[in-house]
Amino acid sequence: MKHDKNDDRLVSPEQSLEVYRAMQRGLSRRDALKMLGAAGVLMAGAGSLPGVGRAFAADAAGQGTPKRGGRIRVAAHSSSAAETLDPAKGATAIDYVRAFTFYNGLTQFDEQLHPQPCLAETFETTDNGGHWVFTLRQGVTFHNGKSLTPEDVVYSIMRHKEPVVGSKVLSMVEQIESVRRVDQQRVEFNLVSPNIELPALLAVSHLVIVPDGTTDFSQGIGTGPFTCQEFAPGVRSVAVRNENYWREGRPYLDAIETVGISDESARVNALLSGDVQMINNLSGRNADRIGQMEGSQIKATNSGNYTDLIMRVDQQPGSRPEFVEAMKYLFDREQIKRVALRGYGEIANDQPIAPSSPYYFDGLPQREYDPERAASLLKKAGVAGARTSLVVSPAANYSEEMGQLLQQSASQAGLNLNLNRVPADGYWSNHWMKHPLGFGNINPRPTANILLSQFFASGAPWNESGWSNAQFDQLLVASRSEPDPSKRQQMYADMQTLIHDHSGIGIPVFLSDLEGFDSRIGGMDRTVPLGSFMGYMFAEHVWWNA
Amino acid sequence: MRNAMPKLVLGRLSSSLVTLFLVSLVIFTITSLLPGDTAQQILGQFATPEQVAALRAELGLDQPPLVRYWQWLSGFATGDLGMSASNATSVAQLMNDRLPNSLLLAAITTAISVPIALTMGLVAAMRRGGKVDRALNVVTLSMVAVPEFLVATLAVLIFAVHLGWLPALSYVSTVDSLGDFVRIYAMPVLTLCCVLIAQMARMTRAALIDQLDSAYIEMARLKGVPPVRRVLRHALPNAVGPIANAVALSLSYLLGGVIIVETIFNYPGIASLMVDAVSNRDLALVQACAMLFCGAYLILVMVADLCAILSNPRLRNR
Amino acid sequence: MVRGTRLPISVPAKRNKQALKLTRWIGLGLFGSWVLIALFGPLLAPYPMGAFVSDTIYGGASAAHWLGTDYMGRDMLSRILTGARYTVGLAVAAALLSSLVGAGFGMLAVLLPRWLEECVRRVFDTLISIPSKMMALVMVSAFGTSIPLLIVAAVLSYAPGAFRIAHSLATNLATLEYVQVAKTRGEGRFYIAAFEIMPNMIQSILTDMGMRFVFIVLLLSGMSFLGLGVQPPAADLGSLVRENIGGLSQGALAVIAPALAIGTLTIGANLLIDSLSKSRDTQKE
Repeated sequence: MKHDKNDDRLVSPEQSLEVYRAMQRGLSRRDALKMLGAAGVLMAGAGSLPGVGRAFAADAAGQGTPKRGGRIRVAAHSSSAAETLDPAKGATAIDYVRAFTFYNGLTQFDEQLHPQPCLAETFETTDNGGHWVFTLRQGVTFHNGKSLTPEDVVYSIMRHKEPVVGSKVLSMVEQIESVRRVDQQRVEFNLVSPNIELPALLAVSHLVIVPDGTTDFSQGIGTGPFTCQEFAPGVRSVAVRNENYWREGRPYLDAIETVGISDESARVNALLSGDVQMINNLSGRNADRIGQMEGSQIKATNSGNYTDLIMRVDQQPGSRPEFVEAMKYLFDREQIKRVALRGYGEIANDQPIAPSSPYYFDGLPQREYDPERAASLLKKAGVAGARTSLVVSPAANYSEEMGQLLQQSASQAGLNLNLNRVPADGYWSNHWMKHPLGFGNINPRPTANILLSQFFASGAPWNESGWSNAQFDQLLVASRSEPDPSKRQQMYADMQTLIHDHSGIGIPVFLSDLEGFDSRIGGMDRTVPLGSFMGYMFAEHVWWNA
Repeated sequence: MRNAMPKLVLGRLSSSLVTLFLVSLVIFTITSLLPGDTAQQILGQFATPEQVAALRAELGLDQPPLVRYWQWLSGFATGDLGMSASNATSVAQLMNDRLPNSLLLAAITTAISVPIALTMGLVAAMRRGGKVDRALNVVTLSMVAVPEFLVATLAVLIFAVHLGWLPALSYVSTVDSLGDFVRIYAMPVLTLCCVLIAQMARMTRAALIDQLDSAYIEMARLKGVPPVRRVLRHALPNAVGPIANAVALSLSYLLGGVIIVETIFNYPGIASLMVDAVSNRDLALVQACAMLFCGAYLILVMVADLCAILSNPRLRNR
Repeated sequence: MVRGTRLPISVPAKRNKQALKLTRWIGLGLFGSWVLIALFGPLLAPYPMGAFVSDTIYGGASAAHWLGTDYMGRDMLSRILTGARYTVGLAVAAALLSSLVGAGFGMLAVLLPRWLEECVRRVFDTLISIPSKMMALVMVSAFGTSIPLLIVAAVLSYAPGAFRIAHSLATNLATLEYVQVAKTRGEGRFYIAAFEIMPNMIQSILTDMGMRFVFIVLLLSGMSFLGLGVQPPAADLGSLVRENIGGLSQGALAVIAPALAIGTLTIGANLLIDSLSKSRDTQKE
C-alpha cells in the first residue's frame, strides 16, 4: 500500500502529482483540485506545467499573486514565561506556530488532514501499518548548515519516549516500537501494533525533526522556512526568512514577529490599531466587531474543537445511566450556539467526531433539547429536584457560558445545578476529570483514531468520564489495521453510536476557531482544520500585499 | 546625633534581612500548599504518570520540602538564584531580561506622579474645604474609582484604535528616538498615574490636615503666620513621615502590582513573570521575584522612615 | 490636647460648614442608596440575574431593559441590582477589618516594648511585600473560593498598608509631650492608644480606610480577571465591568453602567467618611 496520499479515486496519480506541485507553489488543495477539472483540457493543449501553475495561483488565491517581502506581527492568545522552542514540549498555539516556523515534519497535513510528503519524499507500508519506510528528501540542510540525515529522524522521534524529556505526545509515540536507519536516505518505523495512519501522526508539531543530539533548543535550529533571530519566552520571537529553504520560492515573508497577548480585548485592539496583523482565539462577540471594521477580516475554521460536559460514570450521580441521558437532553444546543458562540460553531451530537472528519457518521439522529423527557429520566434516576454542583473554569473554553445556560435549562426540568467556578490556574491537573460533574476541552487531534484512543478507550488515562465498553475497545483496535475503507467507515460509525448512546460525555457544540487578520495578508483562504493559524502552519503560506 | 543615622541604617538593614527570610519562608510554604507541582504544570493537560515521576526526579521535587528549601536558601545566600524549572533558563537571566523594563516604567511613573500628587495634596490642604479642595477631592476619587483595566482599554481604544496616535502595544525593543519613547510609554504611564496620584494626593492632604488641626499650628495662626507659610514651614515637616510612607506604599506597587498594565499593553515586565511563575509552580522564580519585591519595598520604606526621622528631630533619639 | 484654647474660626468656616453638610448629604445619599440596593436589590430586579432574556448583546436602554443587555443577552439592571450586594458587603467588611487590624496594631505597636514592636513590624512587612493580587490568587488556589475567604484574602492584602500609615503617624504622635505626660501619669496602653493617639490621627486613618475600600472593590474585579471571585451566574460590580469590556468600543451600557455604579459607590463612601472626620472636628469646637 503506497501512500502518495491523494487517493481520491477520481484523480489519477499523474494528476495528483500535478496538484501536489501546484499546491507547493502556493495553491490550496481545494483550489488545485478545482482547477484540475477546468484545466485538464488546457493542460493537454499547452502541455507546459509552469504556465498552468501560475494561472491557477492567480485564480485561486483571490488576493493576487504571492509576493515576496514584508514583515508581519502575529499575536497568539497565550503568553507565558514557559514558552519553548523544544517541539516536544510545545503547550499552546504560540509554541506550535513556532515549531512549524523553524522546523519541518516528515509529513505535513493538507486541507483535508491527509498527510502529504514533507521532509520525507515518500512513505510506504508493506503490512497494513506494522512497518513503515520513509525516504528522506535529499539536499535539505538545517539552519546551521548540517545536512538532514536518518540519524536526525531517529533522534527526533525516539527522544519523545524518554519520560524526562516531558514530551506532550508521549502517549501517541508509545505505539512506535523503534525507529531505525535503513540506509543514507531511508528510515524504518516499527510499530507495537499496526497503524495505517502513522504518517498523519508524524505531521503534528511535536514530532518535527531536529538535529541529532540537540538538547539546547533556544536557537530553534531546524530545516523550516524561517530561522530564529530572537526568542524571549513570554515576550516575543523574531523569525527571518531561511534563504536556503528546500521548498523553492518559499517562504514569501521576510520576517514574522510572534507575540502572545492573553487579554482578548487587548488582542483585538492591537489588530484594529494595526500593531499586529493576525490574531487567534476570538470569541464570537469580538469576531463580529472585527468583521465590521474596514481593513480587517475574520476567518472561522471548524476543526472539531469541543468543550464537553464530563459526567463521571463511576461516581454519583453519573453512575445512573438515566441521569447521564437526561443531562444530554438538557443541552439547548441551538441556544448554546446562538448565545455563547454567537453562531460560530456547529451543533454536535454527544460524540467527538466532527462533520469535517472523513469518518463522521451522519446517520446518527440528532439529540434535541427536551426538558420533559429529561424530567422523566431524572425521576427514573431518582434525582428529581436534587441539587448538584457543576465545575466550570475559564480554562475550558466557554464552559462558564455553557454552564450558565445548562443551569437555566436544567431548572426547567427541576434540577438545580450549582456552578462552582475554579481558576484556570492548575485546572488540568487538579480539577479536570476529578469532579462528578465538570467540563473539559479537547483540541482537534490529527486523526479520529487518536481522538477515540485517547479519550474513549476503556482505561485510557484521559478517558474523561471513566466510561468502559468492551465492544467499543474491540472496534477501536480492529479499525487501526482494517485496510478496507468502507468497513473502516462502518466501524467508526458504530463507535460514534456507542459514545452517543452510552458514554458519560455530553458534547453540545463544536467550537469554531476564530481568527482575525489584516486584509493585506494574502493566502489566508487556505484552511487546515486542526487549529488556528492554518493548523499552526501559516508561516510559509501567506504573503504581504503592501 | 550624627552617628545615629548610620547606626539606624545598619539596624534597618539587619532587620530587613529578617523580613526577607520570613517572606521566603511564607512564599515557600504557600507555594507548597498550592495544589499541583511544577512537573504537573509543565507537562500540562495530557501528562502521563511516568512522565510526571521522571520530571519530578529530574527537578528534585521528590525531595522533602525542608531539603528543597535549604537548597534554595543556601544558593540564594551565595548569590545563586537557581534555574527556572519551567523553561530551563537561569532565573538570573530571566530577571535580567525583564527587570530593566519594570524599573524604567516605575521610574517614569514615579517622576510624573509624585510631584503631581504632592502638589495636589498640598493645594487641597491649603484650600481646605474650598472649591479647589472639593474639586480635587472628586477628581482624585473618580480617578481611583475606575478599574485599571477599564482605563487602559479605554485609552487604547481612543489613542490607538480611533486616533491612531499611539501604538496599542508597548515594545521596548523598538525605541529609536525620543518620540518613540514617549509614544510607547504614554499610555501605560497614564494608566498607572491614575491609580497612584489619587492615593498619594489624598494621603498627603489628610496627613497635612491632621497637622493643621494640632495645637502648634493653632499657635502659629494666632501669632499671625500666613497660611501658606503655616502649611509649608510648620505642618509639612511633621507630615513628612506619613506622606513618605504613603508614597513608598504606592510606589512599591509599581513592581509587583502592575500585572494588568503589563498584560494589556504587552509590556515585558516582572509582574507577569511572577504570575507565570506562580501558575507554573516555578519555585526558584517565584522566590526570586518575591525577594525582589520585598527588597524594593524595604528600601522604599527605609527611605520613607529616614525622611520622617530627618524631618522630626525628636524621632532621632528613639 | 487642649482643644479648648481654639478660637472660633472666622467667616470662611461657615461656608465650609455648609459645604460640609452638603458633602455629607451627598455621601450619605450615594452610599446609603447602595446599601439599600445591597439589601433589597434582588427584590426589585425585573428578571432573575442569570436569565437569558434577549438575543441582542450589548443592547442599549429600552423599556424592557432599562440598562440594556450584557454580553450574553441578560438584563443589565437585574444583574447590577443583584450583584451590588457582593461588592458592598465584601468591601465594607474587608475595609473595616483591614483598618481595624492595621490601625489597631499600628497604634499599639508604638507603645509596646521595642522588641515586640519590631516583631509586629516584621510580620506586617512580610505580608505587604507580597503583591495583593498574587496573595489572592494563591489563597483561592490553595483553599477554594468562598466569601469569607475572599474577605480574609483582602484583609491580609490591605491591613499591612493600613498598619504602615497608622504606625508612622503614631510614632510621630508618641513623641509629643501629651503622650509622654500620659505615660508618666501611668495610663494604660489601650487608654493612651484610644484617647491620646487615635483622636489625633483619625483623619488620616479614615482617609486611608476610604482608599482601602476603593481598592478592595477593585481587587474583586481584578480577581474575576484571574477567574476567581463570586460564583456565576452572580457577579460583583467589578466583574460586571470586566465581563462586558468587549462592549466598550461601541459604548455599551453594559460596561458603563457598572463602572458608574462603582464610581458612585466609592465616591459616596469616601465623601461620607470625609464628612464624618470633619464633623468630628467641628463638634469639638
